[in-house]
Parts: sequence; structure tokens; C-alpha cells
Amino acid sequence: MARSEKAVVVAGIRKSFGSVAALRDVSFEVERGEVLGLLGPNGAGKTTTVNILSTLITPDSGRALIAGHDVVSDPAGVRRSLMLTGQYAALDDMLTGRENLLMFGRLQGLKKKVAKERAVELLEQFDLEAAADRPVGTYSGGMKRRIDIACGLVVRPEVVFLDEPTTGLDPRSRQAIWELVTDFKEAGIATLLTTQYLEEADLLSDRIVVIDKGTVIAEGTADQLKERTGGTYCEIVPRNMRDLPQVVRVLGPLLPPAIRAALSETSDRISMPAPDGPTTLMAALTKLSEANIELTDIALRRPSLDEVFLALTGDHAPGSDDRTDKFAAVDAYA
Amino acid sequence: MTGSLQATRSAVPAAARPRVNPIQQWWVLTVRMIIPTLRNGELATQIIGSMVFTVGYYLPLKEMMGQVQPLSSYAQYLTPLIILQAIWFAAVSAAFRAATDSVQGINRRFRAMPIPAIMPLASRLTASMYRCCIALVVSVGCGHVIGFRFHGSVLHILGFAGLVLLIGATLAVIGDLIGIASQNPEATAPMMLVPQLTLGLASVGLQPVDRFPDWIQGFVRNQPLSQWVYALQALAGDTTDAAPKVTWAVMTPSLIWAIGAGALAVVLHRIVSRRRR
Repeated sequence: MARSEKAVVVAGIRKSFGSVAALRDVSFEVERGEVLGLLGPNGAGKTTTVNILSTLITPDSGRALIAGHDVVSDPAGVRRSLMLTGQYAALDDMLTGRENLLMFGRLQGLKKKVAKERAVELLEQFDLEAAADRPVGTYSGGMKRRIDIACGLVVRPEVVFLDEPTTGLDPRSRQAIWELVTDFKEAGIATLLTTQYLEEADLLSDRIVVIDKGTVIAEGTADQLKERTGGTYCEIVPRNMRDLPQVVRVLGPLLPPAIRAALSETSDRISMPAPDGPTTLMAALTKLSEANIELTDIALRRPSLDEVFLALTGDHAPGSDDRTDKFAAVDAYA
Repeated sequence: MTGSLQATRSAVPAAARPRVNPIQQWWVLTVRMIIPTLRNGELATQIIGSMVFTVGYYLPLKEMMGQVQPLSSYAQYLTPLIILQAIWFAAVSAAFRAATDSVQGINRRFRAMPIPAIMPLASRLTASMYRCCIALVVSVGCGHVIGFRFHGSVLHILGFAGLVLLIGATLAVIGDLIGIASQNPEATAPMMLVPQLTLGLASVGLQPVDRFPDWIQGFVRNQPLSQWVYALQALAGDTTDAAPKVTWAVMTPSLIWAIGAGALAVVLHRIVSRRRR
């Protein structure tokens, strides 16, 4: 494939299971060396998307390319380019870690000697030397995650599918996965990270695609998504609550009328939009300081991705639960 | 892990991907099935199983059935059934492994790798044939100990082994089918063992068909296990003239049962594996 081509192109894929539409028009792209977070609650269609991209099922319509290979017309090319991990794949629990690495190396066409050397290298890099000759069935959760990823790296993939790679890991192991994803970026490998955890998507991804009920509902960097739900605001807490009316007066035009109107006698702080970020904060601080108003706290706050996520997928009211469960069931089956 | 991954070396290999070799893949996947049998006691169970079948049938039944069967010895009469039970036992392991792979999700990983779709099944069946060969050798050995001998030509001995392996292949495909259809390793054993025991007891393997009540004789004579027993008794031969003869009349039904059941299982296997997609 040409260097300039996108590593993953998904254009308008749809997939139904019986009468249930698991995917309704999903499109996104991943560049080489980019990490795309595919974020969505259980049953949103993440698994169905991954299954289509890894040629396990075919889409009803739409087009998907992995490293330039079409998932429908050239599945063999796709399978030569990708690496599956996590819930989407498994190892042989009866074989040892070393035997699994050896097996996957040989399945990928490595000569026996090369496969053995690669196994030793990977065991060392993933800190699994001590457990190398124990059956994988006896490994702890973190060790399984590591051997799973190691088995996908016996040969170079062009596209990596990571599924909640850091969930449930200790901070050291998380850090290591983070380093690994950096390695992927440097090597020009595209990473598709599927997760329902915002923190993970926020930390690891360059861009995030939010899907819900089989369709893309938002796309952008974590920052852009945060902007979408109101952006940055400035929070001001005076030392003495009696000063609150004076604060409002001093801030003057910085404070939009809507916020002003929303303040009541029980308010203990003022939250105002800060479209210019630090500059707005600076202006407020100067005005308040000139008026000799003592403050307990003044800070720029950003909505968390959790708030963004809830705002975007906000219709999870009791009435919609059945529907979500149905989707979850379909997605799990797929 | 942190320390080593933080080192300067990248975990991503720089070398280009080698070409995959389907023959190598078939062998690697077959070895994958065989290695655990040496460690988890499956091979030992297989060997002990053959011995238990021999002792369990021969000792208690020798006096009673020995008098009513036509051959020179009860060992000569009984051994074909012992061999068939042993290869059926091997197919139980095949079903278990197929179900385990299916439920653990390793098949999904193989399907997303550059491996021809037929290869995992081909490897499971190869591993099943390995189990069959062990079952055949061990149970013939057990038969030899109690007095079973080949009296026919070399061709007949080869035919004997060939028919056992053909039946073993059919049972392996059936076992694999049950495994992927149930996706439940624990459920496979009863599903395989119930027909093994019922067909085994209601067959001509333990006693001649005229020892059964009239109403069930038609079933006993014509069911697959009995037809296989007749064919194997014929191919093994005997010092007396009482063994069935190696004729098409004796061989054809046993071949039809083996090939027919195998073909049906292959068709069902294709349907089930498509639906699993």
C-alpha cells in the first residue's frame, strides 16, 4: 500500500441481524500512525464494527478498507494486515506463553528458528520471562493482556485493534501499554481503540469517534468534543458569600445575562463561560483584585469527557432501556 | 513490563511480514492439538480406556458369552467391539476440543488471520486421526493379550486398519460437529457416550444376534456398530470357518454406514459453521 493512503477507511457501513439494525451508517477514517478511539456504551455497535473490519462478518452495505484492502473483496489482504486483541480474540489456554508465541509466529509464516527468537524477544519485552513456560490458562488478568498483545506482534501489523487495553490494569502496566501505543504511532501503525471508558479514550487517542445505537454521533479530538458541550468556563468562589452581588457588579459585561439571572441567594460560586480561556480568567482576576474582593478559588474548568459523553448519549432514559438491551444482545452475538 | 518497554527498543518488529505457508500452518495447528494430550493426561486416559474396555467386557462376559458365540475364542469375537469403543472414546476427546476452541474464541482469532478457512478443522481432524491410531494400536495390543489374532492375509490386515481409521474419521467429524454445535465442552461427553453405550450393548459385538429377542433383532443386526463388527471380524479371520467372510455382501453395508454417516456429518458441519459466522 502507498504510504500516503489511509490505514482504515470506513464508509457508510450498515449491518442488520434480522430486524435489528446493529449498524446504521457508520463512517470514519484512521491515518497511519494515528490512534482512533471508538467510544460507545455496551451494545453501541463497537463489536459489530470490529467484526466487519476483521472480516468475521460482511456488511450489508457500505465499504471498508484496511491498509488498502477491501474487507469484502480482499479479506485475505485484510487478514495479512491486522492484529486483533482483547475480547475479540483468544489464545490457547492449554499451551504455555512461549508455545503460544511460537505457534502464532509459525502461523504467520516465520521459520522455526526465527519464531523462537521472536518469542524470546517478546517475552522479555513484555516482562513474561518468569511465566514463559506456564500454561496461559494459569496467567493473571494483566499477564493475559500482555501475552495476548505480544502474540499479535510476532510480525508487523499495519492496523491494530485494541479493546479496552488498560482497563483493570495497575498503573505500571497502564503506563507500559501507553508506551506501546506510542511505539505503534512511531512505527506508522494505525490503532483502533475500542472502549466504553472515556478516561482510556482520552488518554490514548488522537481522535475519538463516539458511536451510539449503531451510528456515529460525534467525532473529533477530546478537546473538540469537550468544546461541544459548552467549552471552558471560569469558576469563581469569593471568600465571603456576601461579596457575591459585588462580584457580579465588578465582572460586568464578562458575565452573560443568562448566568446573572440564574444566580440566587443560595449560590456559593459563579461559573461563567471563558471563551478566551486564560485571557478571560486574567481579566476577571484583575477586575476583582482592583475591587479588593478576596477569593477562595478562581480557576478554569473544562467539562470532563464523562459529561460530554452523557450529554451526547443523553437519552438513556428508562423508556429506552429495552432498546439498548436489544442492541447489546445483538452486538454481543455478532 | 514497564522497565523493558521503556527501553529504547520498540516492541514492533521492523522486518517485513513473511509469506504464510498453509502446510506449515496445518502442521502447527495439529501439533497445538497434540502437545496438550501428552501433558493433561488425555493420552494416558486413552490408553487406560482401551484397557478398561478390554477388561470390563472380557472378564465378566467371557464365560457366559464365550459359550454362545461361534468363533474359536471369545477374544477373537469381542476384540472388534473393543477397538470400535476405543476409537469412539477418541472421538469424545475430539468433540471436547472442538467445543473448547469454539467457546474460548480462538477460532475467531484464526479466522481473522491469514489462514485458509478449512485449516483449523483439517488440523483438528488430523489430531483426531492421531488419537484413532493410538486407540487402534493400544486396543489391538489389548486384544492380543487376551488371545485375539489376525488369521487373514496382509491385505486383510491392512483392510482391517483402514476400515477402523475410516470409521474413526467419521466419528471424529461427528464429534467435531457436536463440539461446534453445542459450544459447550461439558455437554459433549454425554452426547457422545450415550449412543456409544446403547449401540455398543445392542450390537453383535458382545453376543450373536440370535441371542437378542426377536423384536429387536432387525435393529441389532443392521445398526452401524454391528455392521462394522461383522466386517472387522471378517477381516481378522478365525481358525474356524464361523467368522463372516470377506465378501462385498459383508463389506458394503459397513462402508455405506461409515461413508454415509461421515458425508452427512460433513454437510451438517458446513451448515453449522456457516451459521456460527
